[in-house]
Amino acid sequence: MSATGTCDYQAKDYKSDLKPIWCPGCGDYSVVQGIYRALAAIGRPPHEIAFVSGIGCSSRIPGYTTAYGFNSVHGRSLPIAQGIKLANPDLLVLAAGGDGDGFSIGGGHIAHLIRRNMDITYIVMDNQIYGLTKGQLSPTSQKGRVTCTSRYGSLEEPVNPLLYTLAYGAGFVAQASPTDLAGMASIIEEAIRYPGFAFVNIQSPCVTYGEEAQQIKGLKAIQETLASLGHNPADRLAAMDLAQHYGEKLHLGVFYRNPEPPPTYGDLVKERQALLSKDALPKERILDLFIKK
Amino acid sequence: MNTQGINFFNLSLMDALDLAILVEDEAEERYGEFAAQMDQHRTPDAATFFRYMVENEAKHGRELLARRVQRFGDAPRNVTRAMIFDVEAPDYDAARAFMSPRQAMEAALLSEMKAHAFFAAALPGIKDDEVRALFEELRDEELAHQKLVRAELAKLPKDSGLSDDDFVDEPAAQ
Repeated sequence: MSATGTCDYQAKDYKSDLKPIWCPGCGDYSVVQGIYRALAAIGRPPHEIAFVSGIGCSSRIPGYTTAYGFNSVHGRSLPIAQGIKLANPDLLVLAAGGDGDGFSIGGGHIAHLIRRNMDITYIVMDNQIYGLTKGQLSPTSQKGRVTCTSRYGSLEEPVNPLLYTLAYGAGFVAQASPTDLAGMASIIEEAIRYPGFAFVNIQSPCVTYGEEAQQIKGLKAIQETLASLGHNPADRLAAMDLAQHYGEKLHLGVFYRNPEPPPTYGDLVKERQALLSKDALPKERILDLFIKK
Repeated sequence: MNTQGINFFNLSLMDALDLAILVEDEAEERYGEFAAQMDQHRTPDAATFFRYMVENEAKHGRELLARRVQRFGDAPRNVTRAMIFDVEAPDYDAARAFMSPRQAMEAALLSEMKAHAFFAAALPGIKDDEVRALFEELRDEELAHQKLVRAELAKLPKDSGLSDDDFVDEPAAQ
């Protein structure tokens, strides 16, 4: 089936033979299931999907899918995903990683993908800790959090990923959690279908270094769907207002979906190429540009 | 325990059977995931128990499917997996590295109790007599499953009284 068509794919068709080596009970197990289901709902064949990640526990995720995958460099999943999307615009491009990968070392990249409206879905598995390196403070760790790098409690306010992306003008911002797998799959599907940069923050508990309040039971106690609050996802200011409760409440659903998505960077590039190609030299005369006659 | 927003009032017997099958499918799948996690982390005793649960859930699912086919043939299903979540399947974080068989069985016991609460909570909202009878049967089966797991638990040697926290190192600077 072509890139624009759909096939009857099942979630299992996106599951690779590689066995996840996350700690038993890790929230990322449910995230990968949510991604399988979302991809099955989209129906694109695995060879038409590129999945890029950075470094960290959650960044192992592309390997557990049958899509083309690149477990790349710490914090650099987004620039690499951007390059892939521009080189082959027909690919469905996903990027994923943890909160440290996305909002610390890679934090500077998000703004640029947002302002370009790159047609990429970025999934952050936010566990508020650096798990792979054994439990150091991460950019979303709560103030006062005791870890091996903050023995007397963190002095820093956490980054708020939802406000961060909304403030830069992301056209699609949502939050999900393993406490609602079907909801998570549907949010990821919606994010993929959004024509532009889509950000999904997933509260994915770290069972080994995470705090009790951040485990499934703790999340269930504070979760509320945005739909149940009557939130209108077209209202960006209301989304920003709700996003301020990050860390206190767990709001699940779409915070903001731009009702009139601007053109993607890929669209603009295509348009520019079409415009300039009228006066462009044929390929065999390209060197004429550099050789004085 | 809530009823996950399902409107049981107008539920037909076929839909109820299909939901029950999906509940078993989900539990079978989750226990399968847990068994694979335990294998991956070299915890064979817990993996064996979770595989035993996979077989139980699969068996129960097959029995329900046979009843569904006998009564309704291959009529298209109106309910989907998206309508249920974690009814009989243990929560994702119920698995732990290096679980003992006791911990694995306790996780399963909690899940059976959760499923019992689900069917019990659904009963007052059911209008159809046949659906009510099915849900009462399913609720009671969950009690029977709890007994089975408790019996397995009773076979285990006495608990040492130690908890996971007794084996955790204090955070150390890297």
